[in-house]
Amino acid sequence: MSLDKQKQPFVYTDEQLIARFQAGDERAYIELVNRYRDRLMNFVFQFLGDMEQAEDVVQDTMLKLYEKKHYYREIAKFSTWIYTIARNLANTELRKRKRRKTTLLSHMTRDEREYELPAIQPETGQEVQSEFAEKRIQAAINELPEHFKTVIILRDIQELSYDDISSIVGVPLGTVKSRINRARLQLQADLKDLR
Amino acid sequence: MNRYQFEDLISEYIENELSLKKRKEFEAYMKENPEAQQLVDVVQKTMDDMKGISPVSVSHDFNDRLMARVRSEKGPGMHPTSQENTWFGFTPIYASLMTGLVIAFGFISMQLMSFDNPLNPSNQVVAGETIPESSIQIQPHGLKNQSNFAEAEEDSTFEDGKQKTQKDFSNKIHYVND
Repeated sequence: MSLDKQKQPFVYTDEQLIARFQAGDERAYIELVNRYRDRLMNFVFQFLGDMEQAEDVVQDTMLKLYEKKHYYREIAKFSTWIYTIARNLANTELRKRKRRKTTLLSHMTRDEREYELPAIQPETGQEVQSEFAEKRIQAAINELPEHFKTVIILRDIQELSYDDISSIVGVPLGTVKSRINRARLQLQADLKDLR
Repeated sequence: MNRYQFEDLISEYIENELSLKKRKEFEAYMKENPEAQQLVDVVQKTMDDMKGISPVSVSHDFNDRLMARVRSEKGPGMHPTSQENTWFGFTPIYASLMTGLVIAFGFISMQLMSFDNPLNPSNQVVAGETIPESSIQIQPHGLKNQSNFAEAEEDSTFEDGKQKTQKDFSNKIHYVND
């Protein structure tokens, strides 16, 4: 029993790693990047709906982590801190995109857009059908207002706790719960044709 | 329970966060309204679908590109990379500002506490206390004159009173019977 314990490698917590990084250890930074890059990528990709832009935002987030490491204080969890940075950057990207939105998509009606999104017909096989369903869900998430979209991704895709979401978004716990419930109701209404 | 109250509680019901009393109310409402039960099932299905979304990953050269950016942007604008570049947790600019403030505070304090300053509480004379001779000597010229003047006035009145009390009127007093 004690031997087994000895064999297990010591795993630093996120907070220990950021403390080491703040003291100048760059290996701790690389470890934090490895831990969070895919988690953040999933979050930002669902938020923006574009792989390339999502990766740019995750890169910017990690760069900010490098530049602003001394701003982190251990009163907050490291995970909520890094998610907050990613969320703010993704929001900025979304606002930029809205400003330069001169594509035809903005002139289309909702029905036209729905035809545009699924490029693959659902009846060509099980795998393709699930891919189609996934794209429909992502499109429905993208249609949600920003304050609904953030919380539903963090809860139902990232599976974060209500407390963590409350810290990331900066709103009270009750508001987070209410927003998640409303977002779920709106999503099920938007996805009725999938059932 | 009405429809709005029911809808507000759907997520808490699915996530098993309702109190026993509320849960019973919720389930009673579902029994009475089959479409309410349907709604709960659909919301549960949507949540499961979202959990099933296939995860995405960053590209394989993500770290290389990131470190290249870190190196290229590591310039004068960047924050210090180690604690050695900070003084007691302050960046050099803030540390310099703090030092300046401390020096200024010390200088002002010394000015206020100096003996020459009339605002210095140790220089103020408490009523009724006699001023020691040595302290009179170090007073400025004007102040010394003022104290002499006051002393002179005091002396004259005192002397007068003394003369009045010390005069011998015994020869000039005549009794009525004399």
